[in-house]
Amino acid sequence: MSEAKDIPVHALERLRGLRREGHPGGIFTSDFSVNEFLLVRKAGFEPIGLCVGSCIYHLGIQYGSWNQNQELGVLSQAMYEARELAMTRMREEATSMGADGIVGVELTVKRLEWDTHILEFMAIGTGVVHAKGHPGFKGPKGQPFTSDLSGQDFWTLLHAGYRPLEMVMGSCVYHVAHQGIMRSLGNVGRNVEMTNFSQALYDAREIAMERMQNEAIEADAEGVVGVDLHEGSHNWQPHVIEFFAVGTAVTPISTEQDASVIPDPQLVLSVNT
Amino acid sequence: MSWFDNLFGTVGAGPLVSAADMQRQAEWKSFLQQQRLPSFVEARLRAAASGRTPWVATMSPAELGLARARGIRPVTMVSGTCWFHYGWSWTEGHGQGWREALARLKEEAAAAGANAVLDVKMRKIQLAIGDSMDFTLVGTAVRIDALPAGNDPAVATVPALEFLRLVEADIVPVGIAIGARYDYLNPTFSLSGIRIDGTTRPFTSTPLPELGRFWEGIRRYALVDLHQDAQRQGNGVLAHTHLGQLFKIEQGDDNPPRFLGRHIVIGTVIDTSRATGGIPYEIRAVVDMRDDLSPLTNPPVSGHNAYPVREQEGAI
Repeated sequence: MSEAKDIPVHALERLRGLRREGHPGGIFTSDFSVNEFLLVRKAGFEPIGLCVGSCIYHLGIQYGSWNQNQELGVLSQAMYEARELAMTRMREEATSMGADGIVGVELTVKRLEWDTHILEFMAIGTGVVHAKGHPGFKGPKGQPFTSDLSGQDFWTLLHAGYRPLEMVMGSCVYHVAHQGIMRSLGNVGRNVEMTNFSQALYDAREIAMERMQNEAIEADAEGVVGVDLHEGSHNWQPHVIEFFAVGTAVTPISTEQDASVIPDPQLVLSVNT
Repeated sequence: MSWFDNLFGTVGAGPLVSAADMQRQAEWKSFLQQQRLPSFVEARLRAAASGRTPWVATMSPAELGLARARGIRPVTMVSGTCWFHYGWSWTEGHGQGWREALARLKEEAAAAGANAVLDVKMRKIQLAIGDSMDFTLVGTAVRIDALPAGNDPAVATVPALEFLRLVEADIVPVGIAIGARYDYLNPTFSLSGIRIDGTTRPFTSTPLPELGRFWEGIRRYALVDLHQDAQRQGNGVLAHTHLGQLFKIEQGDDNPPRFLGRHIVIGTVIDTSRATGGIPYEIRAVVDMRDDLSPLTNPPVSGHNAYPVREQEGAI
């Protein structure tokens, strides 16, 4: 702890206190790589411990009408709630550690071999505190912030004049209608758009996006960075697809730096290829 | 969770479709037929354009910072999808499908007041239905302050960081060009002198000129098609996706087999002035000391998943 002499006494006390709770001997845990660790520290934060939230969830059964494009609300809600539960539990652990936030959150869904209706949701990330005890980095409602950005991206985000608020997400499980045999016969030998399928993808994606955006509005964010929008199927019938949008809601740091002071990156060429 | 409860109300297990859902479906239908954005999509895009709702971007924090420094503001994510049935021609169907998706992506971007769409990815979902595929483009619509808002936003398949590098070097990525060609070959054998159907094989090593010419012709035509498509949009194309397939079609014992060749080339169209060159930065040569994964020596996967050029694991 070579930086210890720069840190005010009250902050040191606070850090010590945090480390005591569940972390005897002042040892922190983290899944940071070396570079991540260095950059999180450079950003002025200290890791205090890995935060985990997990949720094993039994998904109810819902069938769509064979020839109907529709959202499967039971499944959408289940997928959302299970992720939310895992995230909430992770955040609770961070709160009990006294963390200001969690960086590098990984949110995963795993199938279990022995039951196709049971999914395991897990959220894991490293709880961090501001090294000098700055109170301005919390997430919405004074809770720890959450972010799926890596340690490197966390440093870069702060340098771009933003801080993370929380991971926002939107989920929509959708049943894509089957096409009737007469309709299919009509398309034989023709190049045509299958509008009912286009429509299903549009509708499902739009719903997932709207939900993610609503979360960002609730979090009072300026924007959502690093959004990933993807499709997946979790042991469902072939025509059932989940669209899932996830990203980190951000807000400008109150003492926002002028855009002109953001440094230009240097271009490098690796010569050992 | 509160908004979720509001949205769903009491959720029943039955597949009932509410009146609001029916209304939504009807709006989608008229959008696909008449190219008029559904009211709720338009409302979302307009709200994003005016800044009333948070912006949404696929950008990384580094890209966000640089974009801000260059007067580029993220607006929202936009998409274009066309599920296309290629009953007549698989190859031409792919061209048609992508071009339609591109037009729809641009329509959404224009409604969001954007003058460019960055980080456009070509995607498809894993659902095979007969001779059809969904052609989906997803990207981040941005507002470039230095340029006027227009109805014809530039479409760039490169992420924001690369877009900025290119623009600074006076190269503007403007669109996506597709070249596609297919053909059948009924081998004559007399020309080649070699039975390429495999019934008689010579013991000598020898090229198969007829099949070779056929295949080369398909690739050349596809590139000509790409050239023409690019010409409509800009003055250069960086082709990043090539997919060629050559099939042998058995025709029963009495007839010789036929061959089907098809080739698709897709690239990013750029517009650049020929006069100037170079980039306004020094380039430093560095030795990367890492043994394994390095972003310098191992470029990240592109995120396109429409063609099996780079297979990758996607969803969580």
